[in-house]
Amino acid sequence: MNPRSFSPLFLFLFFLLFLAFMAPQHGYAQAMEGKIRYLKVQNWTKQMSALDYMSEQQRQKMSYMWGNDSEWKTYTELYFSPTRSKYLDSDEKAEANMEGYNGRKDVYFIQRNFEQNSIHDAIQLLGKTYIVEDSLQCQSWKIKNDMKEVAGHICMNAFWRDTIKQQDITAWFALDMPNSAGPERFCGLPGMILEIDINDGAMNISADKIELMPVGEKLELPKKIKGKKIKEVDFQNVIATQIEDKRKTEQPWMWGMRY
Amino acid sequence: MKLLPCLTASFLVLCSILSLQAQTPNKVTIQGTIEDTSGVIMPFATVMLLNPVDTTLINFTRSDEQGAFAFKNVKNTAYLFKISYIGYLPLQMRLEPHPAELHDLGVVPIKPIAHELMEVVIRTAKAPLIIRGDTIEYDATTFKVPPGSTVEDLLRRLPGIEVDADGNVKAQGQSINRLYVDGKTFFGNDPKSATKNLGAETISKVQVFDEKSEQAKLTGIDDGKKEKTMNLELKEAYKKGTFGKVTAAAGTEDRWALRGNINRFDQKQQLSFIGYGNNINETGVNWEDYSEFKGQNTYNQFDNGDFGFGGGGGRMYYFSSDGSPVNNFDGRGFTRNFGGGSNYNFDNKKTKFNASYFYNETALNLDQYSLRQTFLADNSFSNTDTVAQNEFRNSHSIATRLEQQIDSLDVLILKANVRVSGNDSKFLQNQFFTNADGSPSNSLNLDNGTMLNAWNLNSAGIFRHRFKKKGRNFAVSAGYNNSKSDGTDNLFSINQFFQATTFTDQVRQLNNRDNLNSQIKSSVLYTEPLSKILFWESFYNFSQTDNTVNRQTLDPENNNERIDNLSVYYKNRVLYNRAGTDIRYSNEGLDFSIGLAAQQLELNGEYAIDKGLPLLTDPINQKYLNLIPNADLSYEFSNNMHINTGYSYTVTEPQFSDLQPVPNVNNPAFQTVGNPDLRPERSHTVSAGLYYWNPASFSNLGFGSDLNIYDTRIVYSQTIEYVDSIGLRTIARPENVSGGYRFGNYFWGSYPIIKTKLTLNLNGNMNLSASPAFVNGIENETRNQSFGGSIGLNLTPGQKLLLGVSGDANFNNISYSIQEQQNQKIRNYSVDGSVKWQFIDRTFLESNFDYNIYRNDRFGFNQDIPIWNASIRRLIGPKNKIEVRLAAFDLLNKRVYIRQYGSQNYVNRTIADTLARYYMLSVSYNVRGYENKLKTRGMW
Repeated sequence: MNPRSFSPLFLFLFFLLFLAFMAPQHGYAQAMEGKIRYLKVQNWTKQMSALDYMSEQQRQKMSYMWGNDSEWKTYTELYFSPTRSKYLDSDEKAEANMEGYNGRKDVYFIQRNFEQNSIHDAIQLLGKTYIVEDSLQCQSWKIKNDMKEVAGHICMNAFWRDTIKQQDITAWFALDMPNSAGPERFCGLPGMILEIDINDGAMNISADKIELMPVGEKLELPKKIKGKKIKEVDFQNVIATQIEDKRKTEQPWMWGMRY
Repeated sequence: MKLLPCLTASFLVLCSILSLQAQTPNKVTIQGTIEDTSGVIMPFATVMLLNPVDTTLINFTRSDEQGAFAFKNVKNTAYLFKISYIGYLPLQMRLEPHPAELHDLGVVPIKPIAHELMEVVIRTAKAPLIIRGDTIEYDATTFKVPPGSTVEDLLRRLPGIEVDADGNVKAQGQSINRLYVDGKTFFGNDPKSATKNLGAETISKVQVFDEKSEQAKLTGIDDGKKEKTMNLELKEAYKKGTFGKVTAAAGTEDRWALRGNINRFDQKQQLSFIGYGNNINETGVNWEDYSEFKGQNTYNQFDNGDFGFGGGGGRMYYFSSDGSPVNNFDGRGFTRNFGGGSNYNFDNKKTKFNASYFYNETALNLDQYSLRQTFLADNSFSNTDTVAQNEFRNSHSIATRLEQQIDSLDVLILKANVRVSGNDSKFLQNQFFTNADGSPSNSLNLDNGTMLNAWNLNSAGIFRHRFKKKGRNFAVSAGYNNSKSDGTDNLFSINQFFQATTFTDQVRQLNNRDNLNSQIKSSVLYTEPLSKILFWESFYNFSQTDNTVNRQTLDPENNNERIDNLSVYYKNRVLYNRAGTDIRYSNEGLDFSIGLAAQQLELNGEYAIDKGLPLLTDPINQKYLNLIPNADLSYEFSNNMHINTGYSYTVTEPQFSDLQPVPNVNNPAFQTVGNPDLRPERSHTVSAGLYYWNPASFSNLGFGSDLNIYDTRIVYSQTIEYVDSIGLRTIARPENVSGGYRFGNYFWGSYPIIKTKLTLNLNGNMNLSASPAFVNGIENETRNQSFGGSIGLNLTPGQKLLLGVSGDANFNNISYSIQEQQNQKIRNYSVDGSVKWQFIDRTFLESNFDYNIYRNDRFGFNQDIPIWNASIRRLIGPKNKIEVRLAAFDLLNKRVYIRQYGSQNYVNRTIADTLARYYMLSVSYNVRGYENKLKTRGMW
């Protein structure tokens, strides 16, 4: 038999050995490595009402027509280690009546490396996939004094106003989770962000399950994502231009763009 | 020479920097140790440096195991220094630029939060704590109190707050002497006036804090005295409000209109009223007002209990168009309309209930002229119809729906709609028949009167259960529908003949019609997930429809005796059973399903002249068993493109009126007679569609296509012959023919030529059909080809001006295989221009101009109709609540209804009078005020 035919097997065994060797190193930061599942609730009546060109009559009518039935729930996932994080949409369904329907998910992978101070995101925006590679740029949070519990952790709050999307954003970060990661593209607080509230409930992302476990390769981006490479500032410009154009024609900007 | 001052300056700058650094260094290291108030070291506390102006986070660290922390070599500037630790009050202090490179804060003590607050408020009630200095506030909404409770009841439940028997409130042991509601004093200074009177459910937050004493506030000198103060924050009015509008209008030509609606709602309930009356051809309200009227229940009324592919669980009864309160004026005649109703919705997430009542009536006055040319294999004839019709119709509708969430897995829906309607119409018609050579044949005058009263009930119950296993579902439905109508037709006709043997024939008839229809139906659906992406569905549908028709035709000239050959009594029953199954695949935007059903139709019918009389024919008993395949595919591409395609096979039973063997002779020149041997209609349907939108360029594009190929089709074959006492008589009889198709295609697109300023809209459609039918025993295939297209431009030069221009063209070619020389080419064109201009603040000019061209060259028909409307409106009053509008409709006084169409073996053109030029002044009041800007597009 040709010994060369064994080589993939040998490689595989070597890989297993390598993993076994690596494993204790992963266990090193055992307490602060794991997965957070967030429940993301979008209220589209509130999202529409927050648009500045809506008249009072339109807001009242939307609230009347849809106010009780405009919540849309999905799950998202954050994998984190002391130095890195990756955030993505979950395959799990939060709406029971969506069981059985698996639509195409928009490309959305948010990767943060706090050690190398870098971001590497793959985001579908306006029908196009962008690969955002840049140095780590987090929001400039204002620290507030409120306290509440989210998923068993006592959190403090911080505030940031997104002037492009006209969003008032409140983040609740855990005092006992020393990690600067968070859901969506939010980061940079002294503790893990466990809840984000945008425009008073227009969107709320709240941790509902925290599992501490080794995450290893879960932190990697899936391979084979093609897209246009872009810097953060240019990416923000694409968003800002679109929102301004939509505003001019009095159309909501949320279609084709993540809230 | 210039070097010296330069050097001197540089030296001076350098010196000053050095001297500054000597006073306050550029960089500083801030360090310290954290302990609690009892001296215990606090390891792993979060330590932050904030911008003292706006509390923006600048830097952070954690204390180590010894409680020590250090910010090394940070900029030496003013900071807000902050420590937070679970269970402790956040400590905040201002740090000024430090003179030395090491700023040692020493031991920094932090204060614990009361255990009770941490455990009861944060952990148990999940209420956030709001910390202001040393004071803590909390959100009251999370503390549940029974409905109807007062604020006092709520306060009793809050940890740290005591309420004594007299209602005096103490917080953290101190009396509350000052109470605010939303930051304002509430009815004097006694806190009890608010706590005893306000409802707990109106409160969102209870805040307790220390406030400077009144004296300190007056004098501006802080005497250090603080008073415990409570603020009750009211809930936001997000889901609460009132909106609506009312309009009164009067115009020339005795035109008037009134309409109004008002909607009130809160978190759980919605109540609305709507009403209208007019003589300007608005037979109902517009869709926008109707959806406001129904509120959140607008889109709930379409859930039916028919499960399985193709939707078919036996026919559902839908309200006929005249029962809907939405304007459905067809463009002909003059109407006077009234209507009104009320709607109530309740929704507490577990229970959703809706009830509504609506009344509407329309009185129609119509004068209509139409010309029809009918082709036979070797001949043709034409008839002109002049109609004068007066019709009064009204209806009362009651609709109710209940959706009850039994638990997280079960839901029950019950619904019932009742409608009582009436119709009273007088119909005068003159039909003038002309032979192919143009010579007059005969003139038929009809004078018919009809009275009809009808009752309809639709009811259904649907129960859905979700199993614990994700994706496994079960649903069952049951429905009962009942309708009843009784009517009388008073028919009179005089027929005059112009041939050599001229004579006149006169016919009088009295028809009494009673219809009774009842249906029971049920469906079951079960879905089993085979994997996360593969699902297996099985369904069963059942329905039984009973139909009783009694039409007794009497002869008023002969003591109202029954005319046997025109009277019929029949009872029918259709049993429908269908069982089917399909497999569905759903993954990453690809959805595919394929299924098969077995469908059994059983038709039973008995025909007699009257109830109790011997049967006219042997009882009809037909049974059909068919296998029905179905397939659907849809796919979402990653670039916002969506395609779908599907195939289905449909078997539809004949209508009973098509089966009954006795003719209907309301018009002696055009009679219909049923065919007891009729078999179901069968057709293959293939459909495909594509939709693409580009959110970045604001463009979109869609395309759709439907192809129906008939295996067997039910068509009306005609026997047209000259009968002495009638003239040219057409008898239409439904028959099964094979062949024929219908192929419909449509397209639309929108593309911004200049983004946000100039948009191009395109629409197109192509419809091809071939329908075979027999005319005097000879097969005639009518081919209908229609092509239509429109192109439009929307120009928005600025916020104050909107312009639009569009043109459209419709070509309709009809060919008849029995007489190809009669092939028709019908052409309709129109050009439209519109302007909306806000020329002064709060003042708007709106105008549109339509030019319509109707052509049919074979008949030399050529009519152009220009329609021009213009209005000016102004908003007045505070919040622009009043709108005054002066409008001119059809300024050129040209409006008339025209319709050209061809089918089977005829071509038809109808012209009817309708409301033309009038001027109207209207005043409207909007509770929320009108927008002082042009409405660029619909709501979204």
